[in-house]
Amino acid sequence: MKKRELFVCVLVVCLLVPLSVFSAGSRESGAGKPVTLNLLMEDVPDTQIIKNMLPEFEAKTGIKVNFEIVQYTDMHTKLITQFLAPTSTYDVIEVDNYWAGEFPAAGWLEPLDEYVKKDNFDMSVYVPAMMEMVGYYKDKLYMIPMYNYTMALMYRNDVFTDKALHDKYRKQFGKDFAPPVSLDEYVEQCIFVQANTNMYGSAMQGGKGDPIAMEWSNYFFALGGRIYDDNWKATINGPIALKAIELYKKNIAQGAPAGATSYTLEDSLRMMSAGEAFSFISYNWMLAQFQDEKVSKLKDKVQLVPVPGESGLAGGWGWAIAANTPKKDAAWEFIKWVESPAVVKARALAGGAPTRYDVLRDAEVLAKYPYYNEVEEILEKARPVPEFEYSSQMVEMLGRELSLIVSSGKDPKAALAQLEKDFNELAKKANLQK
Amino acid sequence: MKRMSFQARYRMIGYQFLIPTFLVLLLVVAMPLLFSLVLSMFRYTFLSPRLNEFVGFSNYASVVHDQYFWNSVKVTFLFVLMVVPLEFFIGYGIALMLSRPEIRFKSIFYFILTIPMVMSPVAVGLIWRMLLHPELGVVNYLLGKLGFGYVNWFGDERLALFTVTLVDVWQQVSFMVLLLLSGITSLPKEPFESATIDGANWLQTLLFVKTPLLMPIITVALLQRVITSFKTYDLVYILTSGGPGVSTDLISYNIYRTTFMGLDLSVASAVSYMLLIVILAITVVIFRSTMKGNE
Repeated sequence: MKKRELFVCVLVVCLLVPLSVFSAGSRESGAGKPVTLNLLMEDVPDTQIIKNMLPEFEAKTGIKVNFEIVQYTDMHTKLITQFLAPTSTYDVIEVDNYWAGEFPAAGWLEPLDEYVKKDNFDMSVYVPAMMEMVGYYKDKLYMIPMYNYTMALMYRNDVFTDKALHDKYRKQFGKDFAPPVSLDEYVEQCIFVQANTNMYGSAMQGGKGDPIAMEWSNYFFALGGRIYDDNWKATINGPIALKAIELYKKNIAQGAPAGATSYTLEDSLRMMSAGEAFSFISYNWMLAQFQDEKVSKLKDKVQLVPVPGESGLAGGWGWAIAANTPKKDAAWEFIKWVESPAVVKARALAGGAPTRYDVLRDAEVLAKYPYYNEVEEILEKARPVPEFEYSSQMVEMLGRELSLIVSSGKDPKAALAQLEKDFNELAKKANLQK
Repeated sequence: MKRMSFQARYRMIGYQFLIPTFLVLLLVVAMPLLFSLVLSMFRYTFLSPRLNEFVGFSNYASVVHDQYFWNSVKVTFLFVLMVVPLEFFIGYGIALMLSRPEIRFKSIFYFILTIPMVMSPVAVGLIWRMLLHPELGVVNYLLGKLGFGYVNWFGDERLALFTVTLVDVWQQVSFMVLLLLSGITSLPKEPFESATIDGANWLQTLLFVKTPLLMPIITVALLQRVITSFKTYDLVYILTSGGPGVSTDLISYNIYRTTFMGLDLSVASAVSYMLLIVILAITVVIFRSTMKGNE
């Protein structure tokens, strides 16, 4: 054999060996080989709870499950790059409600109607608002509600039993110092507590982008505001939004830590857990964290109620199957298991955030978490951000303008006019507005 | 048939050896660059990933008319102008100190200097976010004990870019130190001996002998840092998300948002190309001016 031919042979072998290894990997789901499901999961308590229960699923089905746990901010980027690849690394997808319009519209999720029908999977137990938010997209089922992070008002009930503080409040405002019944009253109380105790009024999350947009949406929705009307015309630029901005600005300036203009949900949780703040408007699942004496000083001291006013901000995750995974049946097996009544109940008892009536009303669950009555009411009343292809960008724009208002003194009217223009352009880009 | 000369054949063999490298470069550098140039002239989004609609330079026009793009340009230039000189002067100072023969246990210093360099910017961001937490962070606690006032590191729009700069300097200055130190230790001794005989003091030797001799290394170090500073993204992503307001909204973060939130690869490619042209222009200017000075 000539040298050149030998060289070509070696080159061909070098190229073919790695190729054969890669193709062997993609045949993993074939007969006789164990299936491994890969999931990209957010680093929140429910993820750890499910992770601890995985051996049960693996023993039952023989399907291995691998969790890649990351921060929320990393998830969208990682998922999109996988959806655009010929085959997704992630098989079961955790879908945030921000993406519940984008992912199905792009064709990245597998419709689940047939799977549900085939296995008689009971969908009637889910809270309808959750199904609307992280279940259906244009009347097709793409997600099974997994977890709720609907926002609520949480406050220290021991503050209201302080007699000296009560007397001072009565003297100043001429009424009892009691849990707030309106947003104005809540802001007034935060400012009062901060001025008269060594606590901050509210552990606000005013960081740019998602944190401030989510927190402010509670103020806006509580006052009856809507971001779009039924014809997808932006309705954010109006007196309700101006009033919500005025109250939010007042609270972050006088009733919150100075650093709150950069806070994320983790910062707010830390401040509240450390006993540094009287209250916050945050995710209802956090209440379970305060019961853990290892990480919180607030066991039995925090009360959860709906955001005072019309409604708060709904939030949640859904389980879905990537359209470009070859392991769809195994992925559905996992979803069926993780959303089975026994597993959902066990998750709820360990501090998860259920989305189903049967678990929210379960006697054992209610005995451990009596506030789930309030959670049920909060889930039914709360309103999500509008779900469409550009929800993430819409939230980012909202967060930018709000951050400019509270940190850089931008005129709220100019900011709202900018948002109205931007939101209308997004709706047109998504072909929702003619 | 005319036979090739020995030199020509020698050159041909050299070119043949270059072919694999050239092909790999073509595949991993030129092709993506060309593809993104094409993308920047079409309407191409993640939701509709097709090259159906040619739009010419309209993506570039929409970028130029965006007020927040110009803010990002301003913030990025400010960041580069703060970060590169700070890293250079601090790095050069430390390198000069470490190059002195009387300094002992140098390997310990080298080890410590290497740590920030090998850490991922995300880890660096998370650590500094905790350290500089305005209410719960150890830095503000210590400053308070020393009698200084409260500092809102990330929440004050006048301070946030400076905070990001400090964290970047903390991580990247080691690169400057190690690069300059390797240059200093490899300098010839004779020019310094001549300078000593001529009666030059320490400062004169530094300014007129050592620094000119180091100019090729300094050029590489500055160029590398200018280029990577323009592309900084991770730190801002973790530390501030571009806020408060738009005070730390660097151009690379702007590109990230356009890509993964706006899902618009065309506009993101247009901004990337504009950034590429700026970096290329600055690289040429720095290279020419420092090399000219050296000649």
